[in-house]
Amino acid sequence: MSTTQTVPARVSPAPVHRLGVTPARVLRSEWHKFWTLRSTWVTLSGSSLLILATGLAVAISHEPAGAGPEEVGDPVVLTLLGIQFGQIILTVLGVLFTAGEYSTGMIRASLSAVPRRLPVLWAKAAVFAAVTLVTGLITTFATFLLAQPFLADTDMGASLADPGVAGAVAGTALSLTLLGVLGLGLGALLRSVPGAVGAFFAGVVIMPEVLSAVPSDAVKEAVSYFPARAAQSLGAVQHQAGSPSDPAALLTLCLWALAALGTAGWLLKRRDV
Amino acid sequence: MIKANGLTKRYGGRTRRPGRTGRTGTPVGTGKTVVDDLTFTVEPGAVTGFLGPNGAGKSTTMRMIMGLDAPTAGHVTVGDRAYAAHPAPLHEVGGLLEARAVHPGRTAHHHLMALAHTHGIPGSRVEHVLGLTGLTDVAGNRVKGFSLGMGQRLGIAAALLGDPATVILDEPVNGLDPEGVLWIRNLLKSLAAEGRTVFVSSHLMSETALTADRLIIIGRGRLLAETTVADFVRDSGVTAMKVVSPGARTLASLLAGPGVEIAPGAASDELDVRGVDGAYIGRIAAAHAVPLYELTPRTASLEQAFMDLTRDEVEYQAGTTHDAPTGAAA
Repeated sequence: MSTTQTVPARVSPAPVHRLGVTPARVLRSEWHKFWTLRSTWVTLSGSSLLILATGLAVAISHEPAGAGPEEVGDPVVLTLLGIQFGQIILTVLGVLFTAGEYSTGMIRASLSAVPRRLPVLWAKAAVFAAVTLVTGLITTFATFLLAQPFLADTDMGASLADPGVAGAVAGTALSLTLLGVLGLGLGALLRSVPGAVGAFFAGVVIMPEVLSAVPSDAVKEAVSYFPARAAQSLGAVQHQAGSPSDPAALLTLCLWALAALGTAGWLLKRRDV
Repeated sequence: MIKANGLTKRYGGRTRRPGRTGRTGTPVGTGKTVVDDLTFTVEPGAVTGFLGPNGAGKSTTMRMIMGLDAPTAGHVTVGDRAYAAHPAPLHEVGGLLEARAVHPGRTAHHHLMALAHTHGIPGSRVEHVLGLTGLTDVAGNRVKGFSLGMGQRLGIAAALLGDPATVILDEPVNGLDPEGVLWIRNLLKSLAAEGRTVFVSSHLMSETALTADRLIIIGRGRLLAETTVADFVRDSGVTAMKVVSPGARTLASLLAGPGVEIAPGAASDELDVRGVDGAYIGRIAAAHAVPLYELTPRTASLEQAFMDLTRDEVEYQAGTTHDAPTGAAA
């Protein structure tokens, strides 16, 4: 075909301001994606309500133990017992945010818009972490404060002013977020919702339980740095012997989450969509 | 403008040559070359049809153009550089690769808005493309409930969102009703008339010939022809003459000669003659006093010419002993 034919100029209804991908815009896009799915609202409110309801139920039904101080449990762990459910729900939310794009095909649209790819993953992790941390902090502090009046005169009574208590409540919210980010990374890595949820259960929830049955101090010590165990010690006032200190546990959790994200990012750059 | 140079996609091979973006092919299944050393240019201001039988490598080629798949070898540029190297990719290329590259739980409006945010495209443009594709009334509905045709329109809306210089559409008429097909044809022509590069794949020659100016035909990942529709029609115009005569048998023996193909027609007094024109047949018939009832040129349909061209390149042939490879190709 001859190229001498007259080609009319492109009619551009686009605005005058410069179009282009920037990290802030990718963040804005992921923020928009996050809040425009019903599953986000259902899982976020569901996990918060479950944590709150479980906390209240446990507090109301608590029988003051007559035993000595050695057998006394942990007031923060007790009131935030619902974290077990909340964790699972928030992890699924994290998995859905990444792996859900693969199961629906949305990822092709996302990566066509941002062909450098990595900003999409970082933006997803940032949006998810920010939202779950804020939600988690509100939920854990509210639950603790609402449940404690029922425990005031029992062995489980505690106040935020008590040493380590506020830190443990905040630590619970932090571990909720970081384990969720780990799930988000697994979702991006495995590109399958059931695959990533299964991997989280097998690797994060079940494996440390199995390994801790191994009669070896070295193994026990190692297991205490697994994500779920690190999260446990971060959310407890009283530390069990051999478990990592709070800063060590926090660092451990961060490293696990970053490792999952980093591997996912490395593969995202290399794999075909 | 799209320029492919030696573009190759091989699955399963151990050749790990980095693509332009520094990525490598991911081996999947057994070794299979889906796109084989494709070199072509798609010019702006025209609709270019990308034709090939199913499994010829059209979709894979388009995914490589959009940076979704990394080439095993060779490279492809859109505009002046690789897709991923553009600061505003959606303004360069709009692609409809699979109709449902959409989360079904999100509304059409929010889907487009999420994509628009990545480029700082304003909401007014989202409304504009929704109107353009006739989706304004259903913009607030979740995509889950969309018909195939509506999903296709949403995909086209997303492709046009960034006012792209190049539009790449993979089988856009699939699943559309006749009105939708007509709409696509007119849309493609108007996009090309605006000076955009329009690259549209199809496995139907007849449909493509109605909209396309230029053709790129591939089979089994290899380039078979890079031509214009007009040239394709002329070059492949294997014209047969339909001859009806009570002396069909006599005429057949008179016409027989080198380069002449004579086949019996549908009726006993009918012949299908190739290799000589109507004037010659008429003269011979008159010279030997054979009455002619009918002498009609019959141009082979475009679809037939396309099938002739790609016959040996069809991936999954029905009812033959062809050893079709088992690997999935798209």
